[in-house]
Amino acid sequence: MNARGKTLLLWLVVGFNLLTLAAPTLVILGASVTTGNMIVFPPEGFSLRWYEKVFASEVLRDAFVRSFWVSLVCTVVSVPAGTLAALGLARHRLRFANLLQVYLLLPFTIPLIGSGIGLMLFFGEVGVLGELWPVGLACGVVNLPFMIWSVLASANGLDPDLENAASNCGAPPVQAFLTVTLPAVTPGIITGALIMFVLAFNEFLVSLLLTDANIVTLPVSIYNSIRSIITPDLAAVSVIYILVAGVAIVVLDRLVGLEVFLKGR
Amino acid sequence: MKIPMHWRLLDAVEAVAALLWPRALHRHTGWLLMAPAIALVGLLVIGLMYMGDSSLRLLDTETFEQSADYSLANYAVLASQSTYLTVLVRSTVAALLVTVITVALAFPYAYLMVRTRSAWTRKFLLISLFLPFFIGQVVRAYGWLIVLGREGILNNLFALVGLGPFKMIYNYPSLIFGLVQYMLPFAVLLIAPAVTAIQEELELASESLGADWKRTFLHVTLPLARPGLVSAAVVVFALTLTDYAMPVVLGGGTNDFIANAVYDAFFRISDNGLGSAVAIALVLFGSTLVGVLLTVLGTGTPDRD
Repeated sequence: MNARGKTLLLWLVVGFNLLTLAAPTLVILGASVTTGNMIVFPPEGFSLRWYEKVFASEVLRDAFVRSFWVSLVCTVVSVPAGTLAALGLARHRLRFANLLQVYLLLPFTIPLIGSGIGLMLFFGEVGVLGELWPVGLACGVVNLPFMIWSVLASANGLDPDLENAASNCGAPPVQAFLTVTLPAVTPGIITGALIMFVLAFNEFLVSLLLTDANIVTLPVSIYNSIRSIITPDLAAVSVIYILVAGVAIVVLDRLVGLEVFLKGR
Repeated sequence: MKIPMHWRLLDAVEAVAALLWPRALHRHTGWLLMAPAIALVGLLVIGLMYMGDSSLRLLDTETFEQSADYSLANYAVLASQSTYLTVLVRSTVAALLVTVITVALAFPYAYLMVRTRSAWTRKFLLISLFLPFFIGQVVRAYGWLIVLGREGILNNLFALVGLGPFKMIYNYPSLIFGLVQYMLPFAVLLIAPAVTAIQEELELASESLGADWKRTFLHVTLPLARPGLVSAAVVVFALTLTDYAMPVVLGGGTNDFIANAVYDAFFRISDNGLGSAVAIALVLFGSTLVGVLLTVLGTGTPDRD
């Protein structure tokens, strides 16, 4: 009796959550295949013409490529920095370790608008605004704690004696690093890299602040379109994001299993 | 015996490494490893300094250049103009509302996800959580515009029974709703580890001692899940307070938050100084509130009795 009431209540809340979480995704998928000219759901008929229009659109293709490039830069920048930092934190006793951890959490404690504006002013002074790579760099900085956490989770599970054993067997430091440390934290590195890539691909506010009309990334492009005219090709573009998210989840699950996020650190 | 190529390569790399980082410095290897990350975050610090500097400069309305000398006038504007106070109150109230609702909705989800016996259910719940998380704010807000819009699904359903159409977007409730569903994955992912840490035997023990599930929940589960609830509340609060995209997309421009005020100051009235001042004020205000929240709720690390 009691257990039944509890289960019912739980599933009621969870069901509501599932509905609200899934609704935007389903609706966008549905609206993108309409034959009509307006965003409606359920769609009028089934047609892939909006996808044709998206692939034919140079503006959207360029924005997509730019977003991809930004994500690449972000990943390339943050993976080494985050991995080394996590290893430094896990392996070495550092003075001011607590202060260091607070410092490395700055990207999270400073509101995104603050980080974005600050970087915009700095990049403006230095004269690199108008290029894409600063946007990637900014995404890497702003999400760095995710990368560090990811590798730290793997690094904490690494037995320090393994590296000592390697040294005892005669391995010089770089070789010990490459053959013992790196393989052990690879799950964390790949998870982190995946998360960094997807977050950069989705990054809106930083892109908005650091790009101009010539180099907009895809989220900004979608945002601009939402504010002007809303036609179904916008839904088709959004489906790209749904696909990217889907692929990322499958890869993440194959590599480490999503359940890893349920455990504490 | 011929020495393999990759051995030679590695030996060369080791030699270079030994040259660049001699044995004498090996004590400090930890700091060497931290250096790139420290440098990256340092970019943020530099940005903050630029912002602080800019906030102290006034805008010359004729030349649209910033003044050469410093003054606190921008902050005075913040304190005196009622628009900024309105935005502050609106953002803070929204943050509180969204935090309470999100955590209340997230906890059952996290609990079910962790406690369920079926691996399929758990996987399904996880995927349902990560998919929106990876899709991004703009696309999700756009989806809600379609659902709640004048010609949207809900209004179409209402029309079937002869009601409506209702204005369900570009207002405060829809904004709060959009923020809640955006924050939900964050909250669940922060609460879940805490629930995992609660041994199920404790709940069973409580029930075998005679408590019904409501009492068990209130007196056993909830207090033990506290670290997760606290971190979820703090994160959701901070993220909502400083959000930019949702107020613009779902709020329709009449429900601006602090981040929108910053953006407007920079890009609508070209007053970098004022915008920087608002941003700095937000950083300080946000940190203080989070600090207060953490003191009141406890840092979330469980007390050992």
